Amino acid sequence: MIRVGIPQALLYYQYFPMWKAFFGTLGAEVVVSAPTNKTILNLGVSRAVADTCLPVKIFLGHVISLIQKCDCIFVPAVTSLGKKTYNCSKIIGLPNMTRALIPECPIIFDPEINLEKGRYYLYQNIYKLGRNFTSNPFKIKEAVEDAWKSNLAYQNKMSDKGITPLEAIDRACQGKQQSTFDSNPAPLLTVAVIGHPYVIYDDYLNHRMISRLQAMGAKILLPEMVPRSALDAAARRLVGEPHWSFEIDIIGAGEYYLENKVDGLINLSVFGCGPDSMMVSFVEHRAKELKIPFLHLSLDEHTSEGGLVTRLEAFLDMIKRRQRIWV
Amino acid sequence: MKTYLGIDVGSVTTKLALLDESNEILASTYLQTQGNPVDMIKQGLEEVKKQIPLEAEICGVATTGSGRALAGVMVSADLVKNEITAHAVAAMHCVPEVQTVFEIGGQDSKIIIIRDGVVIDFGMNSVCAAGTGSFLEHQAERLNIKIEDFGEYALRSKNPARIAGRCTVFAESDMIHKQQMGYPIDDIIYGLSQALVRNYLNNVALGKEIRPKLVFQGGVAFNKGIIKAINETFHTEVYVPPHNELMGAIGAAMLVREEMKNDGHRTKFKGFGVSQIEFQVSSFICKACPNLCEISQISANGKVLARWGGRCDMWERVEK
Repeated sequence: MIRVGIPQALLYYQYFPMWKAFFGTLGAEVVVSAPTNKTILNLGVSRAVADTCLPVKIFLGHVISLIQKCDCIFVPAVTSLGKKTYNCSKIIGLPNMTRALIPECPIIFDPEINLEKGRYYLYQNIYKLGRNFTSNPFKIKEAVEDAWKSNLAYQNKMSDKGITPLEAIDRACQGKQQSTFDSNPAPLLTVAVIGHPYVIYDDYLNHRMISRLQAMGAKILLPEMVPRSALDAAARRLVGEPHWSFEIDIIGAGEYYLENKVDGLINLSVFGCGPDSMMVSFVEHRAKELKIPFLHLSLDEHTSEGGLVTRLEAFLDMIKRRQRIWV
Repeated sequence: MKTYLGIDVGSVTTKLALLDESNEILASTYLQTQGNPVDMIKQGLEEVKKQIPLEAEICGVATTGSGRALAGVMVSADLVKNEITAHAVAAMHCVPEVQTVFEIGGQDSKIIIIRDGVVIDFGMNSVCAAGTGSFLEHQAERLNIKIEDFGEYALRSKNPARIAGRCTVFAESDMIHKQQMGYPIDDIIYGLSQALVRNYLNNVALGKEIRPKLVFQGGVAFNKGIIKAINETFHTEVYVPPHNELMGAIGAAMLVREEMKNDGHRTKFKGFGVSQIEFQVSSFICKACPNLCEISQISANGKVLARWGGRCDMWERVEK
């Protein structure tokens, strides 16, 4: 059985159930790297070029941690997810960067996902990928259908039940049912957090920010809890035709939650993120217009969580004192 | 008489203020933290104890500043509050019509935007500590002048030198270069003050609407050169409250008074005897997972009071 390694980083949070179903149906074993930890971060930082962002460095660390544990590694090049929208160059060039920086890496399967080039190009690339595992075209078709079904189920689970990707993955792939998220019995206020899934859900990278906010008495809303169609519509209302694929989810969620009058909005971003720096300012302006408190947090390789906690506490205090909620 | 104690443990200085019910300062102290917050908190308590009137009864204690968690555990505080909220509350008390607060301390600088008596926005310096008190102090030391005299030099300047303010390392090499070219020291120092304010404007205050009245507080507000530079940059009068260096501690004391009133509880404060307790601070590496977190702990009389520093909350739970 071929073992396919999938790094638990970057696009993992968006697409893992889909990938797992695809490779599973093709008869391969899926090996996932451990959640980010210090060793993984150090491995990644030791290889990465200095001006990539922290999530990319972490991704490289995950790839290195998978060497010896799998026969191939899956690193798709997700170039475009719609007409005239593209991804960040670091995402597009990810397979090539990985190959160049980690020469000892096992073979990398890197289908280009580029919807700008139309459906046929996509089918071709996925078929090519499937041929590595089987020569039966019907088997590949079945794998694609399973993958798509899993993906829809995953997306719906998050938006219908209001759970995080990590929980949805746990439920879909490990059969866990118990929800640990949102155990706050009587939240004092509601805060939406927007940002790339690989920043919001990597607890090592963001110093457990979501659970810290919950412990401070806030109910947390996340981009994945908004239905796809509402995200697209909100992003379009805010900026017209967005250029960046993944930013649609971020600014769409920002606009959606602002319109639904959350008590506060937090943007969690990493130092040096180009697309965020351009697109999130639209959300920031909108928050100012609607007079909803907005906090921008920029994360990097800091190991002390002190500064982050101070800002979060002050932000929640500001909201509470505004609304005269005394605790 | 009911009184409330605020303790502000900053990176560079430790401040304590004791307020009565009408927010009058009854006792206060301002000490250099000198990298040893535990001893400084104890010393601060000693000094406040000497100043307090006989009839004063401590009804609440709050801690703030970057060392607030440590101080909170040591004295068993009723409230542990972040410094942004504490500074805002104190500024609104001293200058009720305030709309903008600048606070520049030892390691960080903040801006707080207030409208109609409510904080609506705030900002803090992001990745580095460029342009804060520690940097000014370091430069003063290098030029062999006292930090207290820094402002006087700046005010004498006629043609301030242009110093790069983005990064302290660049600023320092710029200053050395100007000094070697024969610029008078007054002009270099005022140039540095301007650079600091420019950096503050581009970094901390970016995109914030600065409206009068503008209150400037924190230790750096002692520096007349910086006040002048703010005045020139923002074209508005700068109010420096009478106890600019104590504002965090004052705000904390005010907040705990509010809290104890709403709460109706008795204070958990251990009393001034805290200054006699031997606290042990130690650290170890947790080997439970590959993260190898550095955990620091504080204990007294062989009993662990609190632990910090983990990526998870495994060590933070301490049996009382």
